[in-house]
This record gives sequence, C-alpha cells and structure tokens, in this order.
Amino acid sequence: MIKRGVSLYSYQQEQFFKRMNLRDMVKEVHDNLKTDGIEIIDQAMIHQYPFPSDDFIAEFRDLMDEFNMKAVTIDVYLDTLQFRDHVMTHKEGAERLIRDIKLAAKLGFANVRCLCAVPIDIIEMALPTAEEYGVKIGKEIHAPFNIKPDVGDKYSLRASGMPRNPRMCDEVIELADKKNTKFVGLVPDMGIFQYRLNEPNFAYLVRHGANPDALRMINRLAGAGIRHADIAREALLANGFSEADAKIAGQIGSFSEVDPKDLKDIVPYIVSIHGKFYEMTEVPGRPGEYEDVSIDYRNPIYWLKQGGYDGYINSEFEGQRHKQDRGMDYMANEVEEVRRHHEMLARYIAE
Amino acid sequence: MFDSFLIRDNSLENVVKDGKVVGFRFGVRIADYRGCILSLHNGYYVEVDGVVYPREVQKFEINGKPPRSFEELKTCVWEHWDYDDEGMVYVEKEGGLAPGKHHIGLQQSVLCAYGYMATDEAWVKEPPIPGEGAGSGKTNVICYYDLELQK
Repeated sequence: MIKRGVSLYSYQQEQFFKRMNLRDMVKEVHDNLKTDGIEIIDQAMIHQYPFPSDDFIAEFRDLMDEFNMKAVTIDVYLDTLQFRDHVMTHKEGAERLIRDIKLAAKLGFANVRCLCAVPIDIIEMALPTAEEYGVKIGKEIHAPFNIKPDVGDKYSLRASGMPRNPRMCDEVIELADKKNTKFVGLVPDMGIFQYRLNEPNFAYLVRHGANPDALRMINRLAGAGIRHADIAREALLANGFSEADAKIAGQIGSFSEVDPKDLKDIVPYIVSIHGKFYEMTEVPGRPGEYEDVSIDYRNPIYWLKQGGYDGYINSEFEGQRHKQDRGMDYMANEVEEVRRHHEMLARYIAE
Repeated sequence: MFDSFLIRDNSLENVVKDGKVVGFRFGVRIADYRGCILSLHNGYYVEVDGVVYPREVQKFEINGKPPRSFEELKTCVWEHWDYDDEGMVYVEKEGGLAPGKHHIGLQQSVLCAYGYMATDEAWVKEPPIPGEGAGSGKTNVICYYDLELQK
C-alpha cells in the first residue's frame, strides 16, 4: 500500500509569516491528515545548518516520537559557489553530501534527496557513508527530466541555465546495480507528469505582462511534444505574436515527457516520491473531491501500484509563490491545499 | 517569491553613529524557501526615490553580529542565514533619509544553486551585480515598496 506523507516545504509561507512552527506542521499531518510521513528541507528547518545544536536534534527526534511520525526524507542541496574563491570541486561536493547524510542519520531520516544536477561521481563517493549510516540517497527526477533516456538537445536550457542530463536516471540505476546496493535510488517528482502551465503561474505571468493567448499556445505546443524554446518562439512569431509576447517561449522547456507506465519499471529503485502540486480545485460534479488540473496523478499512481510501490508520496505544494505579489488577501491557503491533496491521494491509492 | 514581503514595512529607519546620521536601514527576509550559507549572499539592488545605492555602500547584519560588508560575507562559508530570520540591510548615506514616505526598489542576490551551472567560473571571478536578475534566486524582478521612515 502506498503511504501518504507531507514535505513541510508545503507550509513554507505559514513558516515565513510565523503562523505555523515545526510542531504545528507535524500536528496538522497527524491530527488532520491522519498520516505519519514527514519530509523537510534541511536549510528551511535546521537552525544553523549544517551544524545544529544537540538540543535541536534532540527536540526534533522527540517531536517525531511524540506524534509517532516517520522521518522519511530530508532534501539536501549543492551550492557550488559556497567557497566563493573557487567552484566547489566534486570531492568537496561529496564532503557536503556526506555531512548531510550524517546529519540525516542524527535526525532519524531514512533518506536524503539530492538534486538532479548532482554529478553521479559525487553520489558514488558518498555511497559508503550512506551504507554505513543506513541512509538512502535518492536522486530527484524533477521536471524537465525524464525517466527514460531521451534526445537531450530537444530540450532548451531553462531560464535558470540548469544543465539537463538525458541519461540521469539510467546513471543512478547503473550505479545501484553495479554496487548491488539499495542505498542509492530515485525520488520521482510528480511534476514530471505536468502537461500544461499551472494556473497560479499562468495568472502570475499574465499579471506581469504576458499575453494569455501566447501562454495558451505554449500549452498547445507542449502538448504536441515541443520542448525547445527557439522552436516555440518561432511558432509564436509565425502565429502573429509580437517579439514581446514571445518572451515567454522559455516556459516550454519546463515540461518533462514521461509515460506514466515508466514508473512501474523503476519501482525497485524508488526511495520516496515528491507529490508536487500547484492548486487543488473541486472535480466538476463531484463535491468534496479535488484535483490539480495541470498534473496527471491517476495514471502514475495506477502504475506505481502495478509495480508494487509501498513507499511514501510526500505532498509538495508549490502554488503559493505565484500569489505572493498581490498582498495578504490573495495568498494561497497552504493547509487547505494539502488537505485537498491528501483527499485526492487517498482516493487514488484506494482506487 | 514573497515579492510583497521581502522588506518589513515598519522597519525603515535612519542610522545614527556618534550623534550623526550616517545612513538608513531596513529589515529583510530571504527570497527563497530555504536559508542560505552566508557566503552566497551577494548584496542588493537598492533604489530609494530613484537613487541607486550600490553593494559597496551596503552592509548586512545577521546572527547577532555587527553589520558586515558583502566582501566580508564572502568568507563566511560555514555560517548560515536561517530561513526564519530577518536580516538588516544598512546603507551608507550621509544625513540619511528625510522624514516621510519613500519609494524603495529591492532585488536580493543570493548565489545559491541546484548544482553546477554554466555561470559558476564567471561568478567566482566576477559575481553578478544585483539588479540585473542574474543571481537573484527565486525573485528575479525588482520589488517596490512604499515605506514610512520610522525614525
């Protein structure tokens, strides 16, 4: 049976405004979502990362025990410019990951999530520590990455310039097989099943000057398999949109292209799953049932069940950031969004 | 992220040193969902009533330590700016700001990353100048605030 959990990332806005603390979040998961999976962002929750006090660690463990929570996954990062006088070497990157694994073990976490762009040799260098401390390393499959290898140059670099390795998942699977270990695997993010711009982002872009018709055309092009910004840009211009309107062409590079069935094949390698979502709205004609209209959840969960996945899907609400330019009255209700997401997860898991 | 909330709205005040007003300051939060290693904090685009105050006249106060320049912060490779914490941005300006409302534009530069980027080597040699969007993390627009000088 697939288990439900929450990445406390989902409550980042409540934390920012100091309306919820760590305890409030854990209590919400326990009391109202009636489940036990907890995921955290290291640098959002751990005071004075990477060297928290012993008191902080003890309090965290006590809190998990008090509510019978499972510390599932802690999300760790790779800031390559940390030292400022040189780009972090791979050896230094491995040292950071090793430190994070030890910290995860101290806090009682089963897994660390590392990022798509972490080179595989850094993970390999940290693997003995993961095995020694009993903490799995899960590499995230975040949009626009795919599960199966693909033609990399079809994808444009995103606005952020993030490099994208079309063989990322295969590299992880090959490493796990070569070392015959369960301590390295994958953390798929449900955002890879997003097939159109999410509504909060759509509205944000329009408020900041984008032409909604151009955005709709991006959705249509994405549906037709286009992933390259230059091609999207040319298509927009050819359809009469202005140079200014075509500036949003880069959005096309943010989508993955994954067959939900691909999940079944990687189940043995899945460490945990990020349940990314942006906005839960009521399913038309079905009061009390909710969906994110930009992401397919039903088919991926079906194939996870076919593959016998019995780990966690941890809600990762991300719709709040696109409403924070409008003042307090228009902000997302994170607690309600996550409750709706769990209504949907529970329904699909039981289906 | 947090576009409307990066500066605390009742935090703008002049800074007095040895009986003289030497500048102004305001409280800021990080424009991200996580804190950052302090060395990665690369300064601000600060514009007040149309005048831009560059990184060289800015200091940042955090973790109970005196305000530090962004050159000093570069060496703080093991110190953390926690997500929950407010920092204070100090700007040198002889005489400070006049009483009343001020129109402030802000863009924060934090060079945190999700792994190796094409810009890494260039940014070691020459970090981006705040205000151009590069290195601005999760909020790459300039956010504007109308703030009343408190004192």
